[in-house]
Amino acid sequence: MKNEELKMNNDTWEIGGKTLKSRLLIGSALYPSPANMEEAIKVSESQIVTVALRRQSAGDNNNNGKAGNNFWNIIKSLNIEVLPNTAGCHSAKEAITTAQMAREVFGTNWIKLEVIGDQYNLQPDPFETVKAAEVLIKEGFEVFPYTTDDLVIAKRLADVGCKILMPWGSPIGSGQGLMNPSNLKAIRKQFPKLKLIVDAGIGKPSDAVEAMQLGYDGVLLNSAIALAGDPVKMAQAFKYAVHAGRLGYEAGTMQKREFASPSTPTVGTPFWHQFK
Amino acid sequence: MIKISVNGEIKEIEEGLNVHQLIEALEYKTKGFAVAINTTFVSIKNYGITIINDGDTIDILAPVQGG
Repeated sequence: MKNEELKMNNDTWEIGGKTLKSRLLIGSALYPSPANMEEAIKVSESQIVTVALRRQSAGDNNNNGKAGNNFWNIIKSLNIEVLPNTAGCHSAKEAITTAQMAREVFGTNWIKLEVIGDQYNLQPDPFETVKAAEVLIKEGFEVFPYTTDDLVIAKRLADVGCKILMPWGSPIGSGQGLMNPSNLKAIRKQFPKLKLIVDAGIGKPSDAVEAMQLGYDGVLLNSAIALAGDPVKMAQAFKYAVHAGRLGYEAGTMQKREFASPSTPTVGTPFWHQFK
Repeated sequence: MIKISVNGEIKEIEEGLNVHQLIEALEYKTKGFAVAINTTFVSIKNYGITIINDGDTIDILAPVQGG
């Protein structure tokens, strides 16, 4: 087990100019408590955590007498990459402004671009997302666009310079897993050089395994861990799931067969095992 | 005095304040937030030269949990 852990830690990949070990991107919302969030993120061994920006009143600054923002202090203490999002934006203009504000506050040019087009299923607005991505890339951002599993939208995002695409597995927070693995597979096939992350909809560790087995470079999730009965234990489950799926992809799965085929040698089978 | 909206609340402030003076007037004590006026970002380096006008909508955003 120790050797396997060691090997797991030596497998690196690159995204947004950084070399990382973990392929699990984790959210920081919805945990039962800040301490639980901190523990879950640590146990997950994730090296990218998503954060957001919201209105702050002057009184919030005091934070019960403590200096600064308690949440942000915890995140900073984890010493991992921060991926701010533009959650809640409904237009390219709103998303661009939020990204610019995030760059100043968080000190990173990374942005998870999220422009919502429908309140019912929180489906991304592809037109506004592409528009915002084009502007932000020109302004020097590393854009992580949240998109659907539509191949043509993926193409448009790549056309404006996105090096990373984050198609959904299913709607945000639904835990439905991968609704359309064929579409995700097509995006992987058409964009072998882009970094692809399945973002949103993951519910179970097996969903993460499936996404990674499709050849995706990583998985981004929040609710699946934060809303689990035991978020810290689930963080550990996802750590192993993402790694297992990646190893499965790299190893190359066997071809499915129509009929059974014995794995034990048939030569020398004793007579009493032979069918008449 | 002029009327502005700060994070959705209507406030009356002195006329002619820049963003730096506005933040002081609103008693924001620590750093770690960013400012937008009428949904356009104002960077820290422009706080001194950006004057608040009557009817402006100011958003002051700080880090929170996100997915």
